[in-house]
Amino acid sequence: MADVTIFCFFASYTVAFALDVLRLKRPKRSTWMVSVGIAAAGFVAHTLFLLNAADKGREELLPPLLSSSQDWTLVLAWLVVGFHLFLTCCDRALSLGVFLFPLVLGLIGSSYFLADEPSQLLNAAESARRGWTMLHVSSLAVGSAGVLAGIVLSLMYLLQHRRLRQKGRSATGLKLPSLERLSRMNWWSVMVSVPLLTVGMGTGLVLLLSGSTEGRELSLGDPVVIINGISWLGLIGLFGWMLLTPRATGKQVAWRTLLACGFLLVTVVGLNVLASHSPGFSEHASVSSLGANGDPVETGGPS
Amino acid sequence: MNLQVIYCNHQTASLDIRERLAFTGEEQLADAYTQLRDRFPNSEAVVLSTCNRVELYTAQENAAAAPTHDELAGFLSNFHGVPVEEFLGDLLQHSGAEAVGHLFRVCSSIDSMVLGEPQIVSQVKEAYRQAEANEACGPLTNALFQCAIRVSKRVRSETRLAEGRVSIASVAVGEFARGIFDRFDDKTVLVIGAGEMAEETLQYLQDDGVRDVLVVNRNPERARELAAKWGGDGFGMDRLEGLLPGADVVVAATGADQPIVDVEMFARVRDGQRDRPVFVLDLGAPRDVAPEVSGLDDNVFLYDVDDLQETCERNRKSRSQEIVRALSIIENESDRFMQDVYHRATGPIVKRLREQWSDVSQKEMDRLRSKLSHLGDADIDQVEQTVNRIVNKLLHPPLEALRDEARDGTPHGLLDALSRLFHIRD
Repeated sequence: MADVTIFCFFASYTVAFALDVLRLKRPKRSTWMVSVGIAAAGFVAHTLFLLNAADKGREELLPPLLSSSQDWTLVLAWLVVGFHLFLTCCDRALSLGVFLFPLVLGLIGSSYFLADEPSQLLNAAESARRGWTMLHVSSLAVGSAGVLAGIVLSLMYLLQHRRLRQKGRSATGLKLPSLERLSRMNWWSVMVSVPLLTVGMGTGLVLLLSGSTEGRELSLGDPVVIINGISWLGLIGLFGWMLLTPRATGKQVAWRTLLACGFLLVTVVGLNVLASHSPGFSEHASVSSLGANGDPVETGGPS
Repeated sequence: MNLQVIYCNHQTASLDIRERLAFTGEEQLADAYTQLRDRFPNSEAVVLSTCNRVELYTAQENAAAAPTHDELAGFLSNFHGVPVEEFLGDLLQHSGAEAVGHLFRVCSSIDSMVLGEPQIVSQVKEAYRQAEANEACGPLTNALFQCAIRVSKRVRSETRLAEGRVSIASVAVGEFARGIFDRFDDKTVLVIGAGEMAEETLQYLQDDGVRDVLVVNRNPERARELAAKWGGDGFGMDRLEGLLPGADVVVAATGADQPIVDVEMFARVRDGQRDRPVFVLDLGAPRDVAPEVSGLDDNVFLYDVDDLQETCERNRKSRSQEIVRALSIIENESDRFMQDVYHRATGPIVKRLREQWSDVSQKEMDRLRSKLSHLGDADIDQVEQTVNRIVNKLLHPPLEALRDEARDGTPHGLLDALSRLFHIRD
């Protein structure tokens, strides 16, 4: 169990993704079964890896699973794979893997470049703040999963819309849910993820303002804070627009969701990677609220 | 036998051409048959016009009276007012056994856009009925169309072609409507036209849960009848524009020769509800909905019969085994039909030969009776039976040879020899 590495499940998901792409051309039941089997094996390995990380966290009296940037990214990927396996088993015809696996592989790939050391925000000495910290990281993780869902659902909507407008002359073999369902799921993904991210950001700010990070000061002019703030404002804008514009077309919603959520995802992952590699930058990243899993200068580096 | 067909279908010609060459309505067909009779007085004719094909079958006893490909194309051109050069390249022709095989494939739905679809049989039956009503049929076309209907029944019962999605309506609903809508129980369906196609589409939509059905038709009574069948409301065509804004699914299947829903009307309908997706299925040929309607906004999903071609092709490939079996049945039946036709051509000679020999034997029996008057009735019967057996045995070899020869075509040489040998005259 202790021998499970990131490469184990990364390789499984890569093979499952390749099989899902193959299914587009040759939709056979056997290919589906092998693909789901390999993805499930990867999911088990992924779970074992995270449990190992949680054990390590407990030794250091840190919250399980979300103790480092790497853990956080891998938990996000784990949630997405779990979502994929659940939906794929419910509806065999759905071509969900083609959309989700690139994201999963991107997240796991980026985790190679993230630090696996505990964050200072999760300082064990501050036991009184642990509840807040857990709320902070959990809401960010689940909110981010919602953002990922928003991206995938928007992509699926746009592809299905294009296929239907082109009278099925594209995307042969790709089985997607109806526009009506995709639109509804997309709406809910934004409605759920934006409040969660807001809670995550809010608690992050409270944690930082309560001043426990060894004398570091929070500056609102900090570029990281500004970038994260813009991303969050983009999502809030989308959230408000969706609530106030009930007659928006599904395509408009899909495009705006894709842009807002895509920007947020790239920003968060990008800032975390930069924080892990650039000591100067990581200092800023560590005080960002969206990237609350940012790591201290001393421990940054690829895992 | 002289049998020809000229045709264009969904594989050879675009919907633009097919709808211009289509024969819509009984009046137009009656007019077409009148003109065909005037042009080709010695030919039998059957016109088959559906949304996927326009076919003209002609047959005649005398080869010299057979119309040429150009003459038939010229008829279509004059009748519809379409220049020949616009469709000549899309027009195919078969004659003799090939024409027979073609009709059998059409009637068995092998040639249909949706493999195994049942509507084509009723369309062929209706075309044949119309030709009979217009007194355009004759012995050859009667035999051909009756045989085609029988062959299609055999193909359906002996293969699995008719399993699964076997109609344009089911493909359209299954592949596209379900791609747009998740459920249909909260959707309003507006059907334009009250024919067989409209009814069949309603069947599939109701299987998917549709409850709210509106039917508009030129004849409001017929609209109300159809709507009542599905628990909906029927209206006259004058209510169309008023009903369109409330519809999520629009199915148009009329026999009109001009679009019933034009861009201006649909633009007015879409005004203020461009956020709402609408699925428009146009099953008419000529089309009932102007194709430009599709470009009005992103939420208009318009499909006509040609748009379903790719999906139908996938459907066809998945049942290639069944096609092989069906084609084998059709080939077998075509051969049998042709043998029957050739054999029928030998009928008059065989009949006269039998009559001639029977006359001879009867005369000889009468002479025998007068000479041997002492014989009883039982003895005369015995002698008569013996003479008949001798006649039959003597006739058997030449008739057998004739039947063998007729397997590959009308045995003109042998018929001529028999006529000369036995002095058979017309």
